[in-house]
Order: sequence, then C-alpha cells, then structure tokens
Amino acid sequence: MIASAGLDMADERRLLDSPCNDIDETPEEHMPIEIPKDKWPGNIRSITIGATSAEGGTRAKAVTVGGGTTMPYLQFEAPTTNKPVIAIEIKSRKPDDWSPLLAEVWGEAMNDPAQWAKKAQEAGADLIVLALTVEDSVEDAVKVVKSVLSATGLPLIVWGPGQMEKDNELLVPISEAAKGEKLVLGICEDKNYRTIVATAMANGHLVQARAPMDVNLSKQLNILISDMGMPKDRILMDPTTGALGYGIEYGYSVMERLRLAALQGDAMTQFPMIVTPGFEAWKTKESKVGEGVPEAWGDWITRAIHWETITALSLVESGADIIVLRHPESVNRIKEAVEELITA
Amino acid sequence: MALSGIQIYKMLPQTNCKECGFPTCLAFAMKLAAKQVELGTCPYVSEESKKQLAESAAPPIRLITLKANGTELKVGNEVVMFRHEKTFYNKPGLFLRVKASDPDLAKKIAAANAYKVSYVGMEFTLDGFAIEADGDLTAAVKTVRSATRHPLILIANDAALLDSSLSLLAGEGTLIYAADSSNYEALAEVAKKHKAALVVKADSLDDLADLTQKVQTKGMEEIVLDLGGKNLGEWLMRSTQARRLALKNFKPLGYPTIFFAAQNGPAKEAVYAAQAIAKYAGFVVLDTFAPEMIYPLLVLRENIYTDPQKPIQVQPGVYEINSPKPESPVLVTTNFSITYFAVANEVEGSGLPAWLVVTDAEGMSVLTAWAAGKFDAERIAKAIKGFNVADKVSRKRIVLPGHVAVLSGEVEEELPGWEVRVGPREAVDLPAFMKQALN
Amino acid sequence: MQHTISFTHNNKQASVKIPTGALLSDAAHLAGIDIGQPCGGQGRCGRCAVQVMEGTVRRRSTLRLSPEDVEQGYALACQTVVEGDVAIYVPPQEKIERRLTTDRVVAEVTVPEEYEYLQDQTVRRIHLELTPPSMDDQTDDWARLQTAFRLQHRFENVTCSLNLLQKMGKILREGDWNVTAVVDVKNVIESYETDRPIRLLDLQPGMVDEYSPLWGTAIDIGTTTVTLWLVDMVNGQVKAQVAEYNGQIARGEDVISRIIYASKNGGGQDLRQRVLDSINSLLETACKRVNAKAENVVKATISGNSTMMHLLLGIPAENIRLSPFITAVNHPPILTARDIGLNTNPEASVDCLPGVASYVGADITAGVLSSGVNVMDEVTLFLDVGTNGETVLGNRDWLVTCACSAGPAFEGAGVVNGMRATQGAIEEVWINSDTLEPTYRVIGGGKPKGICGSGLIALLSEAFLTGILDKAGNVNLMAGSSRVREGAHGGEYVVAWGVESESGEDIVLSRVDVDNLLRAKAAIYAGFTVLAETVGISLEGVSKVLVGGSFGKYINVEKAVQIGLLPDMDWSRFEFLGNTSVKGAYYALLDWRKREQVTEIAKRMTYIELSADNSFYEAFTSALFLPHTDLSKFPSVVEALTSKVEDQTSE
Repeated sequence: MIASAGLDMADERRLLDSPCNDIDETPEEHMPIEIPKDKWPGNIRSITIGATSAEGGTRAKAVTVGGGTTMPYLQFEAPTTNKPVIAIEIKSRKPDDWSPLLAEVWGEAMNDPAQWAKKAQEAGADLIVLALTVEDSVEDAVKVVKSVLSATGLPLIVWGPGQMEKDNELLVPISEAAKGEKLVLGICEDKNYRTIVATAMANGHLVQARAPMDVNLSKQLNILISDMGMPKDRILMDPTTGALGYGIEYGYSVMERLRLAALQGDAMTQFPMIVTPGFEAWKTKESKVGEGVPEAWGDWITRAIHWETITALSLVESGADIIVLRHPESVNRIKEAVEELITA
Repeated sequence: MALSGIQIYKMLPQTNCKECGFPTCLAFAMKLAAKQVELGTCPYVSEESKKQLAESAAPPIRLITLKANGTELKVGNEVVMFRHEKTFYNKPGLFLRVKASDPDLAKKIAAANAYKVSYVGMEFTLDGFAIEADGDLTAAVKTVRSATRHPLILIANDAALLDSSLSLLAGEGTLIYAADSSNYEALAEVAKKHKAALVVKADSLDDLADLTQKVQTKGMEEIVLDLGGKNLGEWLMRSTQARRLALKNFKPLGYPTIFFAAQNGPAKEAVYAAQAIAKYAGFVVLDTFAPEMIYPLLVLRENIYTDPQKPIQVQPGVYEINSPKPESPVLVTTNFSITYFAVANEVEGSGLPAWLVVTDAEGMSVLTAWAAGKFDAERIAKAIKGFNVADKVSRKRIVLPGHVAVLSGEVEEELPGWEVRVGPREAVDLPAFMKQALN
Repeated sequence: MQHTISFTHNNKQASVKIPTGALLSDAAHLAGIDIGQPCGGQGRCGRCAVQVMEGTVRRRSTLRLSPEDVEQGYALACQTVVEGDVAIYVPPQEKIERRLTTDRVVAEVTVPEEYEYLQDQTVRRIHLELTPPSMDDQTDDWARLQTAFRLQHRFENVTCSLNLLQKMGKILREGDWNVTAVVDVKNVIESYETDRPIRLLDLQPGMVDEYSPLWGTAIDIGTTTVTLWLVDMVNGQVKAQVAEYNGQIARGEDVISRIIYASKNGGGQDLRQRVLDSINSLLETACKRVNAKAENVVKATISGNSTMMHLLLGIPAENIRLSPFITAVNHPPILTARDIGLNTNPEASVDCLPGVASYVGADITAGVLSSGVNVMDEVTLFLDVGTNGETVLGNRDWLVTCACSAGPAFEGAGVVNGMRATQGAIEEVWINSDTLEPTYRVIGGGKPKGICGSGLIALLSEAFLTGILDKAGNVNLMAGSSRVREGAHGGEYVVAWGVESESGEDIVLSRVDVDNLLRAKAAIYAGFTVLAETVGISLEGVSKVLVGGSFGKYINVEKAVQIGLLPDMDWSRFEFLGNTSVKGAYYALLDWRKREQVTEIAKRMTYIELSADNSFYEAFTSALFLPHTDLSKFPSVVEALTSKVEDQTSE
C-alpha cells in the first residue's frame, strides 16, 4: 500500500502489461521502464540548531537538518535536502566506563571538555553533544557548557545525566545561561518533559524527545510537547537506538515507519531524527572488550569501529538526520558514506 | 495482488466442514491469505478457485536455490519494501570471492570454510565461495570443492570453460556470473544444461529488463540480477527501483540481486556490504576474509531478517541499573521489551541502583505472560537460580511486579531463604516504592 | 437598542429588557430564570436549549441541535444573540435531556412480536385428567400418569426423577386425579417424533390457570456482573430484571485470576459456590419482586463467557488460559437445576448456551443473536463493552470475532469511586471549562454514591476537553482549581465533595482510574480495529455499530467518541443495546428456533486470535491516548478541541 502511493491505476496497468508480453514483436527496441516514483504529501521539517551572532547567539555557523521529501537518499525522486550531520559525544568529566580504545584516541583531551570539543571539531564533527554527569553541580554544569561554547563555534546539544530530578536541576540554569544559543536540551521522555520543554521554550532552545522504540510513543511524546506550545521547528525526535546485535532492527523499523508516516503527512512525526549509535555500540561487549572474547570476533579495534560504523550506517539508511558518534574513524567512514549517498 | 481473507473465503465452499483442520472456511481462508497453509488442504475447492488463488499466491521475486553436496541456500521470495510491512524472508547469501590463480587458494578456502561464530545461541558461517576464472577454473573448482561443502558462484564469461567446470559440480545448484548482451545465449544454454542459476548484468535497469526477457525466451528462469551502480547512492537507488518494480509484478526484474561489496576498495567493503544487506541484496560477495568484519555483517543480516511480527524481546538475564551494589534490591520482570524498557527507564531515571532480573517469558508482558503460564513462581525461581543472583547480592530479597502479587507465596516456597516483596503494579510507582518500602 | 424578551417557564411569565447583541442566557438570568449551563456556556452540552416562539435571534452555534429542532425554533441560550423582541419558551429540563442528538438510551426489552408460547416454548404446562384407580384398575400411579400423557397428549415416552416419584402419589390424590404437569418437550418439537423422551419437570394438584405465569429465567454470568431476568414464559414478558456484582470478584477481577484461583486447592468449589450464591440471591430478589416462588421456576437459560460457564459447572478451566487455549466444553448438554445447584425447581431444565472458544463464549453467541448481526445484509460491528471486550464483525454471510482483556472499568469496578449503574450512581457529568466546576446527574436523583460506566465515560471526556487531563491522561495539577489535587494515587479530580455525597467522602477520579479507563477503551478500540483490518474491512464500510455493555441505560455517544472508545463516525450509526448477553439468553429461553440459531452462530463464527502478531499491541498503544495517537481518525474531537482554543482566545 505504502509503496504504491505514487502510482495510479494507469501506471499499475502499464506495468502489468509489461514488455514481456510483446517481446517477440519488438525484440530490439524495448520500451524504457517507467520507474515508479512515490510522491508524498508531507515532508520532514527543516530545523536549525545553533545561532550565530546575527541570530542572537555566538556560534560560528548554524546547522540545518531535516527537510527530507522522500525515503532516505532516493535521489531519483528528489535530491537530498539537508545531508545528515555528525555529532561527537563528549562528557563533562572524564568517563571511567568508556572503552580503553576511546580513551586512547581522545587522550588527554578527555580531561578537559573544551579541549575535547576542539578535538572533536578537528575530527569532523558538525555538532557537539555534551553529556553531563550526576556528579556535576549546577555551577560546574553551567561552567562547562560555557567553556565548550567558547572552545568551538559548533552548535551544541546538552544531555542531562539521565535522572529526572538531576536533569531538571542542571538543564534549567544551563538553558538560562545559554539563552539565545539555540542549544538542543535533552533528553525529554514521557515521564519528564515538562520542565525541559518549558525552559527550552523560554530561552529559545530546542529539545530532544526520546521514546522507547515505538512509533506511537514517539508520536505521543511529540504531541504532548507540542501541546505545551513548543514551536514545531524546535523538536528533534529520538526514536531510541539499539546497537547492532542488541535490537538495532527495532529502531531501524521504527525509524522507517516514522519517516513514512511523516511523508504521508502526519505532522507529529515530521521531526528530524537524532540517533546515538556511538553511545549504544560502545556499550556492547563487542566494542568495549578486547580480551576473553571468542576468536571468531577478530581484531578488536577494527571490530569495534565496524560495530559503531555499521550501526550508524543502518540508521543513516533508515532516515537518521543527526548521528551521534564516539570514535573519529567512524566519523570519517560515515561522512564518506553520506557523501556517496547524496551524490548518486 | 494479495487477496484478503474475505476475498478468498468467497471462493471457498463455505460449508465449514472442518476437514482442513480449521474450524471454519473463513479461518482457513485467513490462513491462506497469510500463506500459512496450502490450498490443497481443502478437499472441496473448485478448479476455478484453485486457478485464481494460485495466481495471487505467486511470489513477485523468484526463489532461487543454490545447492551443494549437503548445503542449500534459498534467496528471493520477498514480498515487501520495508521489513515492518511483513518481514524479509530469505537472508542474502554471504560469499567470499577467491581467485583461481591464487597459489594459496586451498588454504584460504579452508580457513574461511572453517569460520564459525555464535550469536545468541545461533551459529553462523559464510554461505559459499565465488571463484574468479583468472587462472585454471576447473582446477580451482576441484580445489575449492574438496575444501568446502558450500555452494559456489563461478565468475567467467566463456561458455565452454563454464561447461567443463560445471560438469565437475554435477547435481549442484551453482550460480554463474555473468551474462551480458554479448554472451547471454551461450551462457543461458550452459546454465540450463547444468541446472545452474545465471546472473544477468547490464548498465541500466532498462537494459537489464530487456536482457532478462531475452534470457527468459531461452527457457531460462533461474536468474539473478547484477544492477551495476558505481557507489552507495547509485546502488541504493537501483536496488530500490528494482524491488519496487518487482513487487508491482514487473516480471523482467522479479529476481534476487547480487552485489560485490569490495568494488570500490577494501576500505569501503564493510559499509557497502552493510547497505546491501539492509537494502534488498540476494547475494553479497566479499573479497576480504576478516572475522572482525564478517561477524558484524552476519549479525546485521540476522537482525534485519528477524521477523518483526514476533514480540520484541530482550535477552533474559540480570541487568545492572545505576551500578548496583550487593545490598541493592533485586527487581523481577519479563523479557517483553516494552515492559523491560518501562521498568529499566523508571529505575534508571530515579538514580536508584538495582539488579533487574529479566525472565524468559517468551516476550510477553507481565500480565499476559502470567495469564499464559509463562511467568509463574517456577520460572521466576529458575531465573533467580540460573542467573546466580544470590552470588551478586548480600541481601536475598526480590521484588515481584504488583500485578502478580498472587505469586508471592509460591515464590517464597520455590526460593527458600529469599524474602519476597510485592512491588507496585505500574513501573512509574517503582522509584517511590524503592525509596519508601525497600529500606 | 433595547429589546423585550418574554419568557414562559414552568407556566410562569417573565420579561426583561436587554440590548442588541446580548445572549439569551443573560436575558434569562436577568429574568431570574435558571437555565442549566453545565458546560459553562460554551455550546458544548446543549442543556440550555430553549424554544423561540416569536421574533428573530441569531444562532452562533447549533451544535447539539438537530435540523428539526432548529425548524421548531429551538436555540441554545448560551449561543444565541438577541436581535429584536422575542418570546421564549423554556422547556422543563427533563425534556431537554431527551432532545440531545448525542444521547442514546438503551433499547427497551420487548417481547418478540411473533412469540407463540404453544409453538415456540419447549416447556409446556399441560392438564391431565386421570381415571381414578379402583379395585378393578390397580395400575400404579406412575403408569397411570404415563397413560394419561399418552392418551391425552400423545406423549409416548415421559421420564421422571426420583424426587417427583416420591411426591407423585400425594399430588395425584390431592388434586383428586386432576393434575397440571410441566414438561420439557424439546425433544419432541425438534424432531416431530412423539416417542422421544419428554422430561416431567413439575406436577401440581388440580388445574392451574392456563394463563397464570410459567416462570423461566435468563441469566448472564459476567466476569464482573451477574444479571438475571425473570420471565413469564406464557406471554413472554420479562417481569423482573436484577443484577449484582459477581461474588467471585473477591477472588480476582479477571478471568485469568479466577482460573488460577480455581486450580488451587478448593478454589474451584469456592468460586462455584460464590457465583451460585450470586445467582440464587438474585433469583430470590426477582421472585420476591413479582410475588413468585423460586421453586416454580422451571427453566433457566444461561449465557456467560467460557470461563464463567466452566466455573459455574465446576469443570476445570485451567486449559482455557494455557496455549493452545482449549475449553473443556463449548456446548454443555441440557442439565437440571439440581445438577448445578440453582434454587429453582430442582427439575428445571438448565440450558447453558454454546460458546466458540476459550475467549469467545456464550455471552457473545447470545449477543450476536440478540443484536441480529448474523442476519444483517450489511457489514455490522457488534461490540460488547465488558470485562472482556469482545467484538463481532460480519453479516449474514460471515462472522468473525475476537476478544481482548479490557478490565471491568466500564462496569464501574476497579475504579476508586466506581459503581454499577444503579440508584445513586453519577451517570452524566459536565465540567465548566472556565471554573472546572462539575454538574452531574445521579440515577434516582438522590445524593451520589459513586460513578457508573456512562458517568466515567462522560467524566473522562470532560476532564480531557477542559484540560484537567492531558492527552496521555496525566492530571494537570496547575489547572487552577481546588478540585484538581494530589491524591493517594497521583493527581485526581473531585467530582463531588463529601458534603454532597451519600457517604460523606469526596468522590474522585484518580490517575489510576484514568489509566484503567484508558486501558479499557484502548483494548476495545484496538480489538475492533485490528479485527476489521485482519479481514480487510474498513470501518467506513461498517453500516452499523451495535454496542452492548452494562455502563448504564443511557450513554452520550459523543463522549464515548471523544475518549476514543467508539470510532468517530456519524452518531446515527450507533445503537446501544444494553446487556446483549442476557437478552440473547432471554430470546433463547423463549423460542427453540432462536435457541437453534445460537448453535448455528457458534458453529459459523470464526475466532481470530489477536495475540498472533504485533498488530494488536500496536493498535493498543496507539489507542492509549486521548482520544488516539492518530488524531486524523477523530476529526470531530479535533474540532471540539480547536473550538475550545478559539473560545479562549476570543475572550
């Protein structure tokens, strides 16, 4: 049903009466095939993150994502509007639970979020994700956000530590301190969205709305957030990512379905999608651990990067707009793949 | 066009005779519509209905079977663009390309053939080998065949050479790569003679459709398509177009496809193969035998081809939330992913540490599993024991979901020495419960 | 410019002067006439309808009024602007309530027109005159009775219980060999063979009046509610209707809990006794009401879901819940009241109607019979809004059915202040959008004791439309009213303060209640949408939606649509049938042909297992929202929500 959205009955008939029926009469000069193209009534919203000084912020450049009018990268239907962008995830404090492979590649910079952000920019990030921790006090958190903002000109996404009360405690002052920067504040979930949405609305920021791998729940959260009066061009949808081997297929299909729903004109799914393959892939044993694993898993570092890259690529194929990664090599590979996808 | 249950029902005798093993003709019709039963099971269906129903049941993408002595690979028979619409049925074959001229051929095949990796209890291997005829093909076929029992793809365009090589593989279903407009007649003959499948390749879908029709007129139906395409974007486009046309019953493109992942160099091989797996390829040919790449690709293939209609499950086990300590509470729930997420998210969001024991309830929610006898005292006790929870904690105390409060007595009997507490019915009330009741 | 508005209300006249552009409701207020405005004067409730007898007015909105109403001059006082002198008739409130286009009153029970006791009924009362015995004729009593049957009624094969044999001699002599026998002639009328066995049910001395009542009972054993109708089988009339919560509730709210409880030591016996107690006490109440004796009830027809039937009969029900979900019996044979333990005449024939599967029982086959889905030309949807939300879709050619667990919320159970639809239940609620103050109507008119199904539907809808609840059902504690507060189970809304209620306690709708109601409505909505999808029928293609259930005798369709329980379609396509299960049992009790139809329905109904794939879960999650995640399925609700926003901005 979905795939035939762009085909009318006449097309259907022409295809059914395809040249195979009259091959004998015209064996040499065959008719060109009519390629079925989907024409969708809806499209993904274009959403801009970060504000330059002209726009009331301090970013060197704003990043615009979304705008898609077809299923991902079907250039024969329409050229890709905005290519997907890469964010690199850094933490407010050096994490002690990250894979040693990541510690190796980021080195000393992990001790200083500002340095880390700079290195991330050099590694090709279009955006920075700054993840706060429960140990951060309000003062620490505001300070670290400010230092990251001054270290790079990239737009910034700020994640709370992921605990309801702590998230609200840290994100409200950050939101106020960075008023006008058009940050993305996250992560809103159905049980805790009001405070984050309210402060984002008041201070001109965006929000990241995460629902647990379910089309309906994503949509419901978007509705609840919109019902609070949040402008629709300030919501990013986070469908929840599963890593390769750990539920990637659920997120993959949920994303395809959200994208299809958006193209079919459902306003509450027309938000760009942010996914977190870096976070998820580097949690897996396959990436995190080098010793005591089966020999059939092969070389550790290569496998770890494949794990992150293949997870990320699958999500790119299913419609991700912002891909949050951790390893610079994965960033390179996904950027290369994206270039190929948009220049077909 | 697939018929609905009601449409099929109208073609059945409507006597509810039950001889097919279903309680009513409509129940049988719906099983037919879901392709879960053969029409022949109905003893009274009319010839005319049989004809009509057979037409609607023909798969839009032909099923191609490759065989060797002892192994078989089925590819094709797909019916949807997106896996959520139904499922992707037949996993693409993962093949390793080797060169006939390679002096280390035997060793290479032996290593790759021996490759085995397990993933959540399943064992994966490569599906076969593609031999490129840059040297003595018949000698290479002999070498390879003596080292592996997997099906083969022969890469050559000389019909006579293929003929003699295929003679060595009598009784097998091999795939020949590849017929183009210059050699299709001869290759189709060879393929037919040896019951092999034939890849047809052309630079555009137009030319490809034209060529497959010519091959069809030679009486050859076992066809695989090489869509061409110079990079990821172009291949995605062609693959999408071919699948769409095939699903609209455009017969010239109603075949599985083959994709060479290393065509733009080994650095891109993994990403190319990953896209091909997700986006409709029937055969993916790799050039590099590297476990660190093959393992993730095999996992991706398994994931993408998992039936999305099955309830979404998480792996049963003990999940650590917020770095639990030995004195942290032990919570129990089922392995339905939504249930798991609801519980895990609430607890995670509260910052309270806990051990979350996820039992194997066959992917059902707490209430459904309990109703169906898949979440009872016995199973809960089995999980607590099987996952060695007692070794992790200092205080033997478990919290049952409030919906199964009725089980608490039996769980106590099954788990002597454990304190059994009944938690709230809803996950949302867990943090408050943990703060107030679990001290 | 001033205009004269004259009102006629309660046979009194009043008139006031008011400027152009004023509302009729303001004029009425000025005239000291109290026109009810439960919704706060927003044109939502339609309760302020008045009739314009003379003069012209401008109606801003006629929502809630039918074209005929407008034709007759009806106007909503809160939405109607004065533009000249007018004469207004203010009808009594009761009359208005029946005018609302959204109201549906459950269809009355009427005796089937064609009912002919002597042709349709399997239980007959016949008069026998026996030749008195003598020294010449020393035939035994029983043979003498049998002879009378043969000679006077051509019944060749009458059987009799020991109990009756024990009393027989006395009765025969008491009536001086003139007796009235009650017999079950089912075997004979079904086969037209007079030598088939006929059971003697009762024997009374003398000649009982031909037209005096012959009692039968139709019983529906619901998981939550047991309903019993006492029927005079001679004229077919229902003489008493009674209902009470099923005594088994104390042992678990849903069928699964009951099955598990029954499988435990002695649990089955306990549950059996509990439901028998419920039935027997209802029987007593009903008999008392019409001055009948329970032992004179000679036939009972019982419907109920498969689990209830198993538990009543004391048959192990364990396999109902375990895959592949097999019942012990779908179609029990005819039994006697003595077998079962009913306090009717112990010989009474007890007919347990046939079911289809574990989760589609006799309640549904009976429901299909009484709703008539099985004889419809057009595709019809039948919903039974009960603890198990069962759905039937089909017509005369095919029938499909499914079941889902909805919970007892719409029967008022499992809800903090829920109750059955009886005296003292709040059956309707309106909430003023501005003040968040409620107006409610209580069954019987006294102080409220609780809220019944229809009241809960209305309350949920009103709380949602007025912003007390967000679309996910979260209580908005910032709503700005002391009625919205933090309660024991999260946020809650106070419908009636303690001073107004019967018990003196506040009557509230709590967050947990909202969740229960949401789940119940989502399960039902998901059930019928997935069922329709499975067979490839669109809801638009359904000509009628027949709704059965025990939420009350009255329901506001619009509210049921606004919460997403019923599909958003033309209200005229809905019909409310009340308890269709007991009604089906009643038809089957009266007429053996109807009874055969139930068997035929059970045979050809196709059961669809909803849990076979993810589609039910998907549909359920998407319906677990107010009114639904896909708002495009509920255009009328979108309209109601947007008009509310406009109202606010125009102020």
